[in-house]
Parts: sequence; structure tokens; C-alpha cells
Amino acid sequence: MSGRMLLTVLAAAAVHAAWAEEPVQAPKLKLCAALNNRILGPRAADRPLPLLQGDPVHGLRAACAVSWSTLSPGNHALEVADCYQDSLLQLTNDAACGRGTGPLWISSRWVVTSAELQQAQVDPAICQKLDTGTWAGTRDFPLTCRPEKKDFEVQPKAASESPVTSTPAPAAAPAPK
Amino acid sequence: MGGSARRIAGGSGPRRAALVRSALQSLLLASVALFFLNFNVLGTASPSKRFSQDLVYAWFGNEPWLYPRISRDRSGKQPRVVVVMIDEPALALRGMRWPVPVQFHAQFLAELEVLRPRAIMLDFLLLDPAPRQDICDLLTVGSRLRGDGVTLYLAVTRPEDLQPLDAAACRDADGALMRTSAVFTPVSVQRQADGSDFVSRRYPFEQRRDADDAPGSGVPSAAVRMYCDADPAPPSCVARLTRVAAADAGFELAWSPEGDPFNQRWSQASCVETISPMRAILNQPALPRESPCPPVATLFASALLSPEVDPSLGAANEELFALADRAFLLVGGDFRGSGDLVTTPLHTLLPGVYYHAVALENLLAFDGRPKVRKEFRSPKLAFYGYDLLVLWVLAAIFLWRQRRAHHGNSSHSPFELSAAARSWIAPLIARLPTPLWTLIAALILVLMAAFKSLQLIAVATIIAALVIIEIRVAPAAEIRERLRALRSYLAGLAVSLAVIALAVWVGYRWLRLPPGDWLGYFSFAAFGFFLAHTAILEFGRRVDELYTARRVAGGRR
Repeated sequence: MSGRMLLTVLAAAAVHAAWAEEPVQAPKLKLCAALNNRILGPRAADRPLPLLQGDPVHGLRAACAVSWSTLSPGNHALEVADCYQDSLLQLTNDAACGRGTGPLWISSRWVVTSAELQQAQVDPAICQKLDTGTWAGTRDFPLTCRPEKKDFEVQPKAASESPVTSTPAPAAAPAPK
Repeated sequence: MGGSARRIAGGSGPRRAALVRSALQSLLLASVALFFLNFNVLGTASPSKRFSQDLVYAWFGNEPWLYPRISRDRSGKQPRVVVVMIDEPALALRGMRWPVPVQFHAQFLAELEVLRPRAIMLDFLLLDPAPRQDICDLLTVGSRLRGDGVTLYLAVTRPEDLQPLDAAACRDADGALMRTSAVFTPVSVQRQADGSDFVSRRYPFEQRRDADDAPGSGVPSAAVRMYCDADPAPPSCVARLTRVAAADAGFELAWSPEGDPFNQRWSQASCVETISPMRAILNQPALPRESPCPPVATLFASALLSPEVDPSLGAANEELFALADRAFLLVGGDFRGSGDLVTTPLHTLLPGVYYHAVALENLLAFDGRPKVRKEFRSPKLAFYGYDLLVLWVLAAIFLWRQRRAHHGNSSHSPFELSAAARSWIAPLIARLPTPLWTLIAALILVLMAAFKSLQLIAVATIIAALVIIEIRVAPAAEIRERLRALRSYLAGLAVSLAVIALAVWVGYRWLRLPPGDWLGYFSFAAFGFFLAHTAILEFGRRVDELYTARRVAGGRR
């Protein structure tokens, strides 16, 4: 290999390494800006759903924890009456924790909303098909992930080749001081 | 036959006497070594021991033989320890601000309930007045978690700290009075720091009201109580860990320079930290300057309260549940200006809750038998006796090597300059006047003191130059003799190192002694402490001569 070719390869590797270090930031979901947002169901079926009462201006209070079947006996989507800080969703239900609580609130951590799914369709995640038969994508990879342009052609690989893996990019969270 | 028996008897007497003399000489050497290891006028011994401990954990803290971290245990037998960090963004998500209101704790406990942890510790002192309704909400959520089998712990400085919560006189749905102590187990969050550098290496067993109080009478520290409550026999576990007589007793915290892999999702710095011992040899900082990736898995409260903060916890929260399921959750705060920070040996400043989390990980990693310094052990003399025994064996090896060298007619140390080399160097030195030599030496020493990188270069250059001179000018027979002596020295060193390795293993694994004395052992064996202290032997010989002379004189009288 000539010196120039070696330099070219090294330069290409350096550029690739520099790109690889850039964290891929998933677009932030503005839950409170979503129109006609609805709660479709719990993220995990067998866990209790903690509910809050009151309002963020005058103060929220812990109300109770119930199952999804208590909130939606018919397993129907629930209307979102109000939203706070893109994480708290107000339900129209005011009876799940007993009388006199007023409309109840739930954290979006525990429920799946239609806004999330809509965003997944609007902003398809970058994804690619692996030869292991599984899918890998960027960190916000939804189940409905579709390639933006076209399906990647899976080339047959030699047995000695190692499979390509994707690692999740670090989230932008504050470090402890 | 009779003559033969007499010969044997006549030979064994002096041999036994020589053996006893050797044993006593090596005991004297070992005693002096032990004294210097623990020589603490003006606190001189403390920093060296602490530095020894920090170095051992910095270099080998990632090794399972030294610190079998539970976060690396993939068998699932050990429960995880997770720090849950409340910060300003988390409070803002609920429209609140610092100081953390009691109402936030009530709401947050309800959120943590979903994770199905084993236990939750609130590292917050709830001493400020709070609305009665908020206190009642906290106790209501707390008793619900208790009913689900989640043990709750609350930080206190003394048992009376629960009284403001009890004063609210909250009642449950059946109208029964809810007592705070029935919901939260009070735990001490007192910290200990080494006086020499204010680093928190030691974790207290309990917090007693007075130093004179009986062992076991205080409030157990958070990690101790949490560990023992998971033990099949909690009272005996607490009694075993708090039976130390000294009120300020504690166990040493093993640290790993590596951060928990879970934290890589939010840490800007790498969580894989390795410190090579070569750095110390090359005169570079031997301890990590700052490792912002903490050693305990950390979940930010804002990530728990909002999936947008960390979507990588899984669309169905699978990562979140995998982390916290049946885990010990320690909830702490990270607020600017709160002052709740702890100085750690390997991770510099961390929020105070990590102190308790690392202590709990230590108790789990060492099966409730953490490392405790000799001064807090009972009987104390037995543990110092162990040190003496190790040093005695090392001293005996040194004497054996020295005696072998004398038997081999080697009059000089292998590191001493030969007569030929001396006579070769002497005219060279004599060329220049003494004041000039003095000035040159002073200049070199000042340069070496000012530029530390020169030290290693200078030492290596001097050694190389002397070796070259010896090889060129010394007679071949002397070089052979010198090489033989060097081999003997290296053999002695190898045996000494084997003894040290065994002593370290027994001391650390079975006697639960922290690695504070390890560097001391190594320096004695490797850097020829005993060579430097042959004066001790000379002193012993002189005493023996005086005694023998007195006895001989007495016999004549």
C-alpha cells in the first residue's frame, strides 16, 4: 500500500471516527403541543398507574394507584383533557380514586399516547436491517420504524464477518456535581 | 556410637543457639519495622496508609478478587443498588422548587412504587414544617408501599426527628393513627472523613448519642440497616455490625475507579476508567483526577418522571424495570448550593447519597463482612500481632539472604561500587575542585526537584552509567560474584513478595483488613528497608556483647 493511499485511509477513518462521536439526538416530543392526543394504554400491563389530583398551579397531590382496567374498563383510548410540562396528562376521569378528587393526572412515563405514535410516523427513525433478522435503529426507535428512503439490501456475508451492532447514543442528561 | 552421639549433641547446641539468635534478630527488625509502619507523630502514618489504600483501589478496584462489585454479578443473585437523583429539572416537572417539598416525596414514592423495588431510602431530612395534608399523603403512600412489601427508610440525625411527622396525627382510611416509625425506618446518615484529607473512606456502623453509649444503642447507619433488613436474621446482623466499642468506628469503603455501565447513557465522560500502575512509575498522577461517572447506577428523577428526558429506558420501560426491579433505591438530591456532597477517594465530589449506596454495595459485595481497620478490631493486639508475624517472616528472609551472602565470601552488597570502579571514578572526580562539584551537585538536585520528569531520567542515567563502568573496569571474577549476589537478592525478594502476597490474601480475605498496610509491606521488602536498618542489628549485637561481657566478668569473679 502506498503512503498516499495509507494517508487517505487514515483520513477517512479519522473523519468516520469524528462523525461516530456525534451523539444522535432524537427529536423531542412536545406532548402538550399535540392535537387530539389520547392515551392508548399502559406501557406495562401488570404495573399500577400512580395518579395525582389537583392542578399544577395550586399544587398536585398523590391520589392513588390503579390498574389500567380501572381507568378504562373497556380498554378504550382515554381523552387527554390537559397537559403539563410535556409529561403530565390530565384525564377526564375523576372517580378512579374515589369522590371529590377532581380530574386526575398521570405521568406519560406509564402510558402510551397517540402523539408518540404520530411523531414516530412523521419523523421516521433511522433504521437498518441486520442479517440477524432483528432491527436496529436510533434510540427512539418505535416498532413502526420504516426506512426513510428504501429498504437496505442485505448482502450475504462471509461467516468470519462480525455482525454490525448499533449502540444507543447518550442522552443529554445533567451530570451530578 | 557414644562418641557420635556426643558429636551430634555438641553440634546441635550451637546450631540451636544460632537459630534462636537469628529468630531474635529478625524479631527485633520486625518490631522496628512495625513501629515505623505505625509511627504517627503529627499524623504521619495516616496519610501514607490512606494513600496506599487509594492506590490499591485505583489500580485494582476493577478486579473481582479485590472488590467483587455486585453490578458485575450477572447471576441475578445479588440485588442491585440504584441511586435515584432528584434535581431541579425533576422538581420543575411537578411545578416545584428546592427545597424538596414533602408533597414531592409523596408523589415520587408513588412513582417509585411502579418499579417494584425491594427497599427505598429517602436521603432527605424532613425537618422543615410541612402542611399536614402533605405529611398525611406521604404516610399514606408510604404505608401502601409497606403493604406491598417495600421497606422504606428515612434519614434522621436522631430518633426525635420523626416527631414533626407524628405531630400531624394522620389517620388511615380505617381511621387508625399512622405512626411514622411504622412506615419509615429511621436511619442515620452521618458521615465520617479522614482527618488528614477529609476524604470519606470509612462508613460508620451506627450513630450513638454519646461517645460513652454502649455498642448497638445508636441509630444504625442507612447501609447497615438496609443490608441487615435483607438478612434472614436482621437483629443479629445489626448486633454483629454495631458491636464495635469505639463510637467513631466504621468500615472501609472499597471503591472502583470504573463507573457503572448504566450511567454511560447520561454521562458525558467514559465510565470505563483504568489506572495503570505505570503512571506512578512515570511520575504521573497515580489516582484518577476526576471520574464524573459514578460507580453506582444512577437514575435521574427527571428521566423517571418524563420519558422525553431519557427515551432509551424503553418504549415499554423495559430498561427501567430491569434496573429497579427488586433493587435497593436510594433517593438523594443534587442541588447547587445544598452542600450535600461527599469527597470520595476515586470519584472526587459526589452527591452525599452515593456514600450510602457505595457502603451498601460494599456490604453486599463482602457478604456483610466489610473491611475494618485494626484500631477498631478486638482484640486489637492480635491484629497488630499478625502484622508483626508478617514482618518477622520478611526479616527472617532478609537475614537468611544476608547470611548466604556472607557464606559465599561476598564482602560487599551487590549494589555497592567495586574497588576497581571506585578507583576509576576517583581521578575523574579529583580533576575538579570540591566547591565546583558541590555546586554542580546542588544544581542537578535543584533541577530534579523542580522538574519531576528529570528524576526518572536522572536515576536511570546514573544507574546505567555505573553499570557500564562496573562492566568495563571490574575484574570478571568480581562481576560473577556480584551477579551471584544479585541473583540471591532477587531470590530473596521473590520469596518476600510471595510472603507478602500470602499475607495480603489472608489479611484481606480472612481477617478483613483494608489494604492500608500493603504498600508498607512492599516498600520494606522491595526497597530494602532492612538494608537501611542494619544499624538495628548492630545495636542488638552490641547489647548482646555487653551482656556476654558482664556474664564472663561475673564468671571470673
